[in-house]
Amino acid sequence: MGPIVSCRRVTKIYRQGVLAVPALQGVDLDIATGDFATISGPSGSGKTTLLNVIGGLDKPSAGQVSVDGVALATLDKNALSDIRLHKIGFVFQNYSLIPVLSAVENVEFILRLLDVPAAERQARAREMLREVGLEGLEDRRPARLSGGQQQRVAVARALASKPAIVLADEPTANLDSKTAEELIVLMARLNVQSGITFLISTHDARVIAHTRRHIEMTDGRITSDVAIKFAA
Amino acid sequence: MGRLGLIAPIAWRNLWRNPRRTIITLIVVAVGVWSVLSLSAMMRAIAVSSRDASLRLLTGEAEIHAPGYLGDPGVAHRMPVPRGALLHFLQSPSVAGWAPRLRVPAIVQSEYRSRAITFLGVVPRRERLVSDLPASVAQGHYLSGPSDNGIVIGADLAAHLKTRLGKRVIVMSQASDGHLTEQSYTVIGIFDGPQAAEDEFAFTGLLAAQSMLGTGPDLSEIAFDAAEKTDLENVVTSARRSAPALDIESWKMFAPLAYALESLSDTYIVVWLTIMFVLMAIGIVNTQLMAVFERTRELGLLQALGMRPILIVAQVALESGLLVGLGIIIGALLSAATILPLRHGVDFGQFANAAQSYGVGRIFYPKVDLLAFVQFGLVIWILGVVATLWPARAAAKVDPVQAMSQS
Repeated sequence: MGPIVSCRRVTKIYRQGVLAVPALQGVDLDIATGDFATISGPSGSGKTTLLNVIGGLDKPSAGQVSVDGVALATLDKNALSDIRLHKIGFVFQNYSLIPVLSAVENVEFILRLLDVPAAERQARAREMLREVGLEGLEDRRPARLSGGQQQRVAVARALASKPAIVLADEPTANLDSKTAEELIVLMARLNVQSGITFLISTHDARVIAHTRRHIEMTDGRITSDVAIKFAA
Repeated sequence: MGRLGLIAPIAWRNLWRNPRRTIITLIVVAVGVWSVLSLSAMMRAIAVSSRDASLRLLTGEAEIHAPGYLGDPGVAHRMPVPRGALLHFLQSPSVAGWAPRLRVPAIVQSEYRSRAITFLGVVPRRERLVSDLPASVAQGHYLSGPSDNGIVIGADLAAHLKTRLGKRVIVMSQASDGHLTEQSYTVIGIFDGPQAAEDEFAFTGLLAAQSMLGTGPDLSEIAFDAAEKTDLENVVTSARRSAPALDIESWKMFAPLAYALESLSDTYIVVWLTIMFVLMAIGIVNTQLMAVFERTRELGLLQALGMRPILIVAQVALESGLLVGLGIIIGALLSAATILPLRHGVDFGQFANAAQSYGVGRIFYPKVDLLAFVQFGLVIWILGVVATLWPARAAAKVDPVQAMSQS
């Protein structure tokens, strides 16, 4: 089986006036199906940019990115939206939920976009929330959930569509240590249970402690890519 | 439906994230709609009052004349009694009523004074079908039949002539042979009406007038009403086909003031609608631009999650649609509440004389026209939604990476 994500000589250069700021410099990376991988590195090393490029949110200046066999460079805006919807789940740093929807509605949102029938949609959304330990809080809006609970909703939403890969950008950055630990354990468990691939950018050593593969980035380049023993 | 079910709850709830702003915008839309609907109902009522006052005075909704009569309305330009196709047309269901007349300029003279008038020979039974003047006789009575040789004059003319019921007046006019002819008539009725009508018109039986002027059975004009007011132009066209040699015109030519008022009413409504729409559009666009600006990060999130840009446009447009739609409903209800109590008539009161001098009736009757409400509402709603395509497009163009980087 081929990699779920494949990056070949991916370069991303941002323009700041006359200055060209390289965020990614010839990155080669394969993520295999079922991987639970983390990317770390100092600020500005290119972690978030790499996730954005893999997620089809940003276009590389050069190089090829493919997700589940689909080359992103050839896709227009709508097709990229569809790829994100069908193949990629996102967990962002800042508890990115839709504030006017309840927890269960946030999860259902993705399923509605996928045209999942109502009964199946509601059942699956509630099941996902139960999976992430939010049973009883389904009808609360984000403002009435803690940061950790919001990130759990985001994880449930990311997994609801049964994506090929979940991209998580600093998911524990705004959480206290206990909540962060619980979240990363949850993601590791879901990875094992469902076989969904996770690629997580993080500074958090506790997250890295649970990973099976750790990638280091510096100045837009991968400087280290090692498989490590899962510590759970 | 699936997509609507997705964006509708979000759109509705987004509206109430900033209740104060939403309520202010609702008030702007509601007041705008209320003003357009209420004032247009008033204007239409005044225009209808003006038209009815003019047409039911004497004109009818259309008139038939001999060629040349309109340029020189004298006894020389006459037409025969309708027969054949014209008679068939006048007796058809598309005509509500018609009245033949002999109508000439004349001088009326009492023992004290004289005045130039329009002298009409009429068939009273038919005249009642197209004119309210027979029912406006305040003293005495109207003509009893076409051979009645009494005269009915206006109250103002009677006062000018210093005459009264039972007195005799002399009517002088040019006969069909070109000579001046005169005839003495007894005043049998005095009617009330607009001052211009009271001053100008004097009526006698058609046969009496034909006898005085020596015209035989000929006529000067035939006034008629269409069975359906909205179908008048088609009815006039049918009349022209049935009598191509005659001049046949609708009331718009004979009552230019009423026509101008009706046109002015329509123009006013369009102008007011435009002004209100521009003000509402500014409010709505401003509201939605602010909403989009405030929700940049969220709009980026929606895109990141896989929502297509067109669906984001639809969501922002739907927010506007709900906002404007709610404002329209509130404005329409307010307008109905304003107009319904006035449906039994608004009296110009002390301004009645001034109004009547402009051809407007003393009382006008505003009404809730459901079709107009729906039409105006729909136009405002569509334009309101179209106006928000700008902020909606701005929302769809949000770059998810930049948007998500906002804290």
